[in-house]
Amino acid sequence: MASLTRLLERNLRNSSTAAGRRLYSQTQEEPAAGTKHEFDDEEFRVLNLRAAKQTDQQKRRVFKKEAALPPRHLKMATDQDWTAVWPGPRTFQPSSVPLPLRQGYTEKGAAPPSKFVNAELMKIPNFLHLTPPAIRQQCEALKKFCTPWPKGLESVEKWEKHFPIEVKSTDYCHALPTIRNPDARRVTLNIKLSDLKFDAHAKDKFLRLVGDRYNPNTGILTIVADRCPLRKQNYDYAMYLLTACYHESFVTEPWEQNKSEADMEYYSFERNKSKQTAEAIINWGIPTDAAKLEVSQDFAQTVELLINEGENEYNLGRYKEEVLKLLSVRNE
Amino acid sequence: MSLLKKCVQQLLENTNLCSQTIAATAAAFHTSPVCNRVQAGRYRVTTKRNRALTYEMANPPHYIAHRKAWNSWNTSSMLDGLRPSQTAIEDVFMRKFMTGTWHALIVSEVIIKRQHNMIRIAAIMRQAISPRKMYFLIGYTEELLSYWLQCPVTLELQTVADKKDVVFKYI
Repeated sequence: MASLTRLLERNLRNSSTAAGRRLYSQTQEEPAAGTKHEFDDEEFRVLNLRAAKQTDQQKRRVFKKEAALPPRHLKMATDQDWTAVWPGPRTFQPSSVPLPLRQGYTEKGAAPPSKFVNAELMKIPNFLHLTPPAIRQQCEALKKFCTPWPKGLESVEKWEKHFPIEVKSTDYCHALPTIRNPDARRVTLNIKLSDLKFDAHAKDKFLRLVGDRYNPNTGILTIVADRCPLRKQNYDYAMYLLTACYHESFVTEPWEQNKSEADMEYYSFERNKSKQTAEAIINWGIPTDAAKLEVSQDFAQTVELLINEGENEYNLGRYKEEVLKLLSVRNE
Repeated sequence: MSLLKKCVQQLLENTNLCSQTIAATAAAFHTSPVCNRVQAGRYRVTTKRNRALTYEMANPPHYIAHRKAWNSWNTSSMLDGLRPSQTAIEDVFMRKFMTGTWHALIVSEVIIKRQHNMIRIAAIMRQAISPRKMYFLIGYTEELLSYWLQCPVTLELQTVADKKDVVFKYI
């Protein structure tokens, strides 16, 4: 029952839409020629195999190809201004470059592919925009922004005298939309230790403060700062470290007085027992009120060398000579 | 009965031998020909020898940097390069956009070269559409890509009259 009503409904709807169309579109809609033919003809349609030409069929519009222009380099004069042809970096364009280039690998004997339709030539970066005349032109244009070299800084010695601190940092160029690189923040500060003025205590303390940042072979102190996010901050921090270490090295703390002979970094004859003993031997039998004899400078140096450098044949030989000299014993 | 005994003995010997060989090869390096198969970027020879290859297709990937160059030029792929994944994704997107926009017109690979924030896209096109349409498509591609990627994009095209001009060889 339900299906029947549905069927009826559909028929009704169809008839109503047909009626509507008839009502509203009678004046506007003209039935097409083909449909008219179909409806009017009572007979079967004839399939005409011979009829090659059908006049009523609309001709397909033929796309008229415009002839491509000949390559530009054929039209260019031999004294053409090349910087005008190739002003900036650009992918290789065979029609503009008047060079018989070839690139590509072929089997033995065959010529490499020519410059036309050669994707390999389009891939590789070219420097056709950086010909010597182009560079000369750009230098001429930049000249007006240049300033003369400062007087008094002609040689490396003069730079080093006036600017003892060397600051190094790296800029990075990317082929990316970003201009930032986290490695650009790193700042390296170099200074020769001989450019700083120290006394003995301050130098000792400074070297202890900087630790392995000082290279004793070259005498150069290197401070690397990379803990801050910006280069400026790192530069400031490196300069702060240098200043703080320098001034701190001149401060003598109360606990530094407790430094005993065992804490010394090197052996000094002046403050050791061997000096007292040697003087005691020399001055043996001399009355106390008379002027005391001093140990010779050579002996002091030899003893220092023997203990600081270690025992070797040369040091021991020298020590023997100095001892004999000190005791006025002739070596037979 | 003796035959059966012999058979059993032989069987035992065989199994013993087998177990020995297994023990010997257990620690050995396992290679299988199926795992070693490399197919990407290589084309099979046809019986009629009528498969057209461009220079790019004629040289399989292991010839990159020997016989042919890369299709993407940027600093991300270098050691310690920045944002390599983003650059790769952008390149894939650009290639897809190009092949879709210039439908059935590109007869070479799409070459993407980056310099600072500049992107230069090079390709070889067929002269199948009028120059006017081509100029429109160039502007359209440049405008949309530079809007999406937020950096200037330049299209540097070369055109060929016939599709067969790019054919390097037939296999």
